[in-house]
Amino acid sequence: MANEKVDVVIVGAGASGSVYASVLAKAGKKVVLLEAGPDWQMSDLISSEMWGRRIRPAGAPFLLEGKNPFGYAGQAGWGVGGAALHYFANHPRFLPNDYKIKSEHNRALDWPISYQDVAPFYDKVAHDIGMSGDAKAEEKWRPAGQSYPMPPMKTFRHGEIWVKGFESLGIRMVPAPVAMNSTEFKGRPACIYDGWCHVGCPTGALANPTVTYLSEARKAKAEVRALCSVTRVLTNAQGTKVAGVEYYDEKKVRQVQEANVVVLAAWSGQNSRLLLNSATDKHSKGLNNSNGLVGKYMMTHSIAGINAIFDEDIQNHLGTIGAQYMSYDRYGKTSYKDAFGSTYITCGAAQKTHDFASTRPDLFGPDLHDYMKRAARGFTRISMFGEGLPNIENRIELASDKDEFGMPLGRLTHSFDQDAVALWNANLEEGQKAAKAAGAKEVWVGRAAIPTTHLHGGTIMGTDAANSVVNSFGQCHELPNLYVAGPSIFPTEGASNPTYTILAVSLRGAEQLAAKWATVAG
Amino acid sequence: MDQIERRAFMKGAGSGVLAFTVGGVEVLLTPGAARTQGVPFRLLNANEGETIEALGETLVPGARKAGIAHFIDHQISVPAEEALLQARIFNVRPPFANFYRAAIGAVDRGSEKVTGRKFAALSTTDQRDFVNNMRQNKIEGWTGPSGGFVYTILRSDAVDVVYGTMEGYAALGIPYQAHIVPTKRW
Repeated sequence: MANEKVDVVIVGAGASGSVYASVLAKAGKKVVLLEAGPDWQMSDLISSEMWGRRIRPAGAPFLLEGKNPFGYAGQAGWGVGGAALHYFANHPRFLPNDYKIKSEHNRALDWPISYQDVAPFYDKVAHDIGMSGDAKAEEKWRPAGQSYPMPPMKTFRHGEIWVKGFESLGIRMVPAPVAMNSTEFKGRPACIYDGWCHVGCPTGALANPTVTYLSEARKAKAEVRALCSVTRVLTNAQGTKVAGVEYYDEKKVRQVQEANVVVLAAWSGQNSRLLLNSATDKHSKGLNNSNGLVGKYMMTHSIAGINAIFDEDIQNHLGTIGAQYMSYDRYGKTSYKDAFGSTYITCGAAQKTHDFASTRPDLFGPDLHDYMKRAARGFTRISMFGEGLPNIENRIELASDKDEFGMPLGRLTHSFDQDAVALWNANLEEGQKAAKAAGAKEVWVGRAAIPTTHLHGGTIMGTDAANSVVNSFGQCHELPNLYVAGPSIFPTEGASNPTYTILAVSLRGAEQLAAKWATVAG
Repeated sequence: MDQIERRAFMKGAGSGVLAFTVGGVEVLLTPGAARTQGVPFRLLNANEGETIEALGETLVPGARKAGIAHFIDHQISVPAEEALLQARIFNVRPPFANFYRAAIGAVDRGSEKVTGRKFAALSTTDQRDFVNNMRQNKIEGWTGPSGGFVYTILRSDAVDVVYGTMEGYAALGIPYQAHIVPTKRW
């Protein structure tokens, strides 16, 4: 039996798709979300590194190439809630300089909007989902806004121990803004600081989509169909509008879901893969791809991880996987000589045994065991996220190999440019100085490969169809009833963890779509 | 939202309990107990199991007793999306059994080329030397998945069974602090 046509079909029930579902369902629209993975329940979120892998992808549909392949599988989501089901909930915002790099430095790209356009949505998201932090303390780096609804999270010795070391370098550390509850919030409990956030927080203290926007969407009658893999976006015969999507259901049976509006809210690589795989005779290079920009400008952050062991029991198992402290003091694009791009500095994430083991990949046998015992008592680390600029050569393409539904695999090619490599090296050097100044007994970094995190780009926003795929609301230039949501529409990536900006930009797009529904869907 | 008891004792996940078939009956055992009880492998043959145990023990002391071979055998026999293996995080393409068979073969071929004997038959010192060269891709004539990658994946598996369980945390003196009891058998 054919599926009844709906107002909007959303591909992906993660962070951005949940925002669209909530806004549109509450506006009275009939909403269906199609999610490739399972409909995870809170009781599935088992406190275990091993069991936590079930909420990540398996059978990854992307081939990874380039000098710095993007290792996405540990960060991506598989199932309702998406990657945000197990994210670290660090919620720094992008700063004004992220939106105007071209104007201010004649480098990279400008966003078609400014910080001030997004700022009200940052504030709104914070109060929708619950955030803890000290907004006043952040205002040394950004324009004033509303306070967070909850005070900062508790701190622990393995975070506190870094602060003086950074201060000696002129780097001011302030409480990290996180989407976690330092107090009870909207019926969700306060965090108990057990450090299992990264395998999914089952208490609801961490604002994953299933307890925030997706929960609201479901209450407003949005329908979630799990284990449904979308393979194509469909158009009308003229190729002037989208008409719905093709997908394979949990029994692997082909289905079509017609809709007045389609929102692509899969992860960054998959949004491009879907558009490229939806080519028709009217859109021979893929949907909305006359300019050939779909799949281009893929970006990731580098991570400069500075590892240290202190000669005291710093109880690194306590706290959350989010940061305790953060700083924007190296966020200026020219903070380091001979490098370019922003750096976001964090410290104080809780550590698990796998974290210890992975930071000394050279050790095995009795040497590893000796190290594990030392690490259990005194290990902690700094993470410095570095910006990579948009480069058209970093891209998604379709490969010749196919998945179980006959859809070509994606090929993700990514290499850092010289500026990004220089920035990573500068961060490693400065981080080691901070560690030594903090009194660490052992300090080391890994230089074998540049760790990557947070994928952006592929369907970037811009002022018009000549320079971009979508407008600032995520609406496609060529197909006005097709929206794209998530970090794939970011034209630059800053250095901040992206989810707060994903939520804010998605809320802005969803509210615009709801307000202009008759024009868009008519 | 489900009601979650604070730090509820976690039966199963933290202690690494999996479902094994013994005499036609499915029972919950840790991989270590499955090894002790001689539970037959599902997919691995005896030689493959022996190589995995020897390699695991070289990588992380205690991995053999913790049941690394039964753990891997179990995990490669279930659908990829149910597997708990770190291989999925490293973008290994399913079925994961293909990777492990290729890795085991590469280790034994490499060992035979260098020493004339399979890896499990080497002395402890020779096993360590071999692994040290393997992780740096320095085994001459190596064929199959890169030595460095095999090292990374198998080392992670050994870390899982030795340090990733509640017992492993306890051995290191770290409070496990689980939130939740798993609701379904594996």
